[in-house]
Amino acid sequence: MPEEPKEAGEKVSRGNFMKMTIAGIGGLIGLAYTIPSIAYVLGPALQKATSEWIPLGSVGKVETGVPTLFKTTIQTQTGWISNEEEFSAYVLTEDGQTYIVMSNVCTHLGCRVRWIEEKGNFYCPCHNGVFSKNGAVVSGPPPRPLDRYESKVENDILYVKRG
Amino acid sequence: MLRDIGNWMDERFGWRGVWDTIFKRKIPHVNWFYTLGSATLFVAVNQAITGILLTLYYVPTPDHAYDSVVYITTQLPAGWLIRGLHHWGASAMVILTVAHLLRVFFYGAYKYPREVTWMTGMVLLLVVIGFGFTGYLLPWDQKAYWATTVGTRIAGVAPFVGSWVLSIARGGQELSAVTLARFFGTHVWVLPTLFLLSVSLHLFLVIRIGISAVPEKGE
Repeated sequence: MPEEPKEAGEKVSRGNFMKMTIAGIGGLIGLAYTIPSIAYVLGPALQKATSEWIPLGSVGKVETGVPTLFKTTIQTQTGWISNEEEFSAYVLTEDGQTYIVMSNVCTHLGCRVRWIEEKGNFYCPCHNGVFSKNGAVVSGPPPRPLDRYESKVENDILYVKRG
Repeated sequence: MLRDIGNWMDERFGWRGVWDTIFKRKIPHVNWFYTLGSATLFVAVNQAITGILLTLYYVPTPDHAYDSVVYITTQLPAGWLIRGLHHWGASAMVILTVAHLLRVFFYGAYKYPREVTWMTGMVLLLVVIGFGFTGYLLPWDQKAYWATTVGTRIAGVAPFVGSWVLSIARGGQELSAVTLARFFGTHVWVLPTLFLLSVSLHLFLVIRIGISAVPEKGE
């Protein structure tokens, strides 16, 4: 395309000025849509999980040397839906003073493990993952020991930190 | 670099000819009223972008519709902006469409050889009103519910076919989950399809025929 003639004293031709203006304003409008859109789409994914102490139950329930399953109901909020969800964890104490709270979620692919008293191990029904009493991997595919929760005891109630 | 890619593609499918036909076509000396069509198109693109974004979170069922809209507006980053743009854009769409129509009407631009452009414009007007009517129900709040109750009842008083039209619009006798679902489906699938087809033809004709000049006195 032939360049448009410039009038005397003009640094930019009228045509090029128009092009630059359109590109500039168009770019601004584009950004005004793109940036909020990205924030809007990514928003829920970037939300930090809130951590909270949840009461599991009385420590008196824990037998010394045997993992004990605690179950409790917790309130969850996902998107616009509030739900009651069951939360469960295994609690182990060897001395009646210090408590280990272990997740019952297999570290392989997320099935629930179960304590089998006669065998003295945790078993995962999905792919035969086996964990020892304190959560260490005995055999099977799990890549790491059972996850542990931070815990505390207040007035004989055991609390775990979730999230 | 960019120029090379441009040349490479131009040599293969001649896109520069298409570009020039669309953006470098000759137009008569016109005034600002002639930008109303482009303004309508701009808002239509806004409605499409923000509408697609809203469907990422909106759920068209009675037990979730309102809550998901509140979630969009109050919990999501820029959710208020996306919904606001769609909400106000909807009103702007109707106003601009009618303003564009009035410009074409009073300048006599609908006459030979542009009758078909006018007819596709009429289809587009109905589609825009359809968008407005179906979209109004989707937040599923009191205003939406009663406005649609009244709106469908108005259709119901048409002679002979009224009660048919009413039950087809509502998907039954009452306003219900069925109504919400079909309004949503119409709003996001049926009308956008019709809109895309009509607007393509409309714009093709505008470019193909060229736009009319401002009529002279006595014309």
